[in-house]
Amino acid sequence: MAPINISHRRTHNLLLISKLLSLRDTASPLTLVLDSLEQPATPLLKEYIRRAKLSKVHVTLIAFETLKRPEGVDAFVSTCRKSPADIVKEVSAVYQPVAASNPSRRRLILIDSINPLLSSKRVDPGFHLASFLGSFITPSSPRAKVDASLVVTYHQDVPELPQQNPYTPSPISVLTYLATSIITLHSFSHVLAQKAARDRSLAPPVFGLEEEQEGVLLGRLDRLAGTGKAEGIVIELEHRRKSGRGVLEWYLLPPASQYSPQHLKEIVTLLDDSVLYNPPMERDPGAGDEEPTSTFELGLTDRQRREREGVVLPYFDAQHGDGPGEGGRILYDMGEEDDFDEEEDEI
Amino acid sequence: MPSQPPLPPLLASYVSNLPDSSLTLVSSILGATSNWLVLRFLHAALSAPSPNAAFGSDELHNGIKKKVVMVSFMRSYEFWRTEAKRLGLDLARLADKQQFAFIDGLSELFYAPQATATPSISAAGLGSSPRTTLPMRSAPGAVPGRSPQPVMPTTTGARGNVTPKQAELGIAKKLHFSGRGLASLDALEKDILSVIEQQKSMMEDGDELLLIIDQPDLLLAATGASMGIGATEMSEWITALQQHAHATVLTLATDAPLIHNASTSGGELATPIETEHAALVIGLAHRARSVMQLRTLDTGAAKDVSGVLRISRGGGLNTSEEESLEEREALYFIQRDGGVKVFGRGES
Repeated sequence: MAPINISHRRTHNLLLISKLLSLRDTASPLTLVLDSLEQPATPLLKEYIRRAKLSKVHVTLIAFETLKRPEGVDAFVSTCRKSPADIVKEVSAVYQPVAASNPSRRRLILIDSINPLLSSKRVDPGFHLASFLGSFITPSSPRAKVDASLVVTYHQDVPELPQQNPYTPSPISVLTYLATSIITLHSFSHVLAQKAARDRSLAPPVFGLEEEQEGVLLGRLDRLAGTGKAEGIVIELEHRRKSGRGVLEWYLLPPASQYSPQHLKEIVTLLDDSVLYNPPMERDPGAGDEEPTSTFELGLTDRQRREREGVVLPYFDAQHGDGPGEGGRILYDMGEEDDFDEEEDEI
Repeated sequence: MPSQPPLPPLLASYVSNLPDSSLTLVSSILGATSNWLVLRFLHAALSAPSPNAAFGSDELHNGIKKKVVMVSFMRSYEFWRTEAKRLGLDLARLADKQQFAFIDGLSELFYAPQATATPSISAAGLGSSPRTTLPMRSAPGAVPGRSPQPVMPTTTGARGNVTPKQAELGIAKKLHFSGRGLASLDALEKDILSVIEQQKSMMEDGDELLLIIDQPDLLLAATGASMGIGATEMSEWITALQQHAHATVLTLATDAPLIHNASTSGGELATPIETEHAALVIGLAHRARSVMQLRTLDTGAAKDVSGVLRISRGGGLNTSEEESLEEREALYFIQRDGGVKVFGRGES
């Protein structure tokens, strides 16, 4: 069962992630990237930008915490001291000249961190997150057809401020509700360490802030983790199809140094296909289960096995304690294929 | 005990030659304070090129003059001056040479401006004697800098008429917090920017300005939500300052209650300051290039170890730069003479 499953996943889910990261067919209008200090989203955003460049997609970065315009970004919108409405206006303004010259061009809008906006005291209480995000994706004028994808990063470890109105849902629940794909990032070396612990039925280790050790913010010390050169990001993807069916998959994105920026083929692999995560050693014991080949059939058929299990062994019978001398008989019901040999019985 | 080089060789690559528009976060806890590390940043930027040549970082010193603007919310100028002196840095002279500017965010931050009359009297009474002793190191009998000396702030407390005296003392500006909300932060920002601009006006092309902000979390703790200042406002404030400097170094407290009480596993009893502080520190760690975390030894106090320094890559590090910043954990020991030894585990 397993091999069929994995080849199915390999073809379908790899196609899916390739579609999502390359923004093909607007597979996901709103992607939510959940990152943490242990695995920041920067490499993934870089990968988004790289692919967007290859397919000539217009990239806008709405910077809540980035200072300088990163390489490959066409429009950089700083949000310092701007109200959400101003941001929306500016984001649509930077695209106007592009839309005029080349109306069919697709667009990628990245938000490097949504947290400052969510906890800002300056934003008036009437701020509506859903319509704020929606206004980026929906075109401003009805005749302009824009294929825009929005990628929003949310830092999971930054605590949320208590809600002013206790009946409104928290921003993260709104975000996860709205998103068409949710990507949770993990550090590969941590995933490996946790798997190694799980394989031995130990409690999986925690890193960084979760250690709750005083003075420790980051636990990401590649060499201390003891997992060698486990580079890359583990992507946990939850994609919601239009039909409503969800797809869950774990992928591995190799570090950017391992491929050239012009690399066209898919570089993301399934986590299960990773040699470090699923060492090929594990296949060998499975292969060793096979019987040594000979002309005799040494195995049992299902029926034989069932019947063998049905035999009551003498010491079970003896435990009934029917009286002295009564226990320990061999009870055997003759089956039809038994060849009763009277002579043998007489001996 | 042999005297240590002012800049431990293990640290040299981390505290000098910070790349453009980078943010370095230094986190400390009560048992492991960050002032010695801040002094190393100061030394790396301000010391004359010749002693630095020994550590192989001299080639970038050629031609590039570095200036430092330091904003301190937690410790007084006197403290930094005495401590820097132990490293061979004369902050007063450097301030004279316009290489260093100190902004005092401690002594008069919440000092009502109408109280000008009282300090001017005290300045008249006490003012002359400390001023004459300033260029020299304070008397050996005085506590060598571990506790801020209250004499200096009060004598320099008078405003308006003493601006030349302040310049003489090496304090470029004293911050005053007034009003509430963003307007008050903007005012502080303007004060700091005016000093930065003043420094920049003397700069030639290629010169670098390092901005050090010591414990801006005090500002957050002292104001808080009731004043309309939260983690977002504070980090925007820092971003705005960052844009005017070549590199920025921040020190922040990461004591367990300030970080872990607000986490989801900590239950629901987090107070606003715990939540805001955690949001500020973690948010800044997400945008920092490197995070230098100081903590005490996990196994308890030791005679020859003061604490553990862990240097990690922050969330804001460029992936292309990843190789240039090696993550590592080392032990450090602050000697009696102020020298610091940084060494790996198992070494001495």
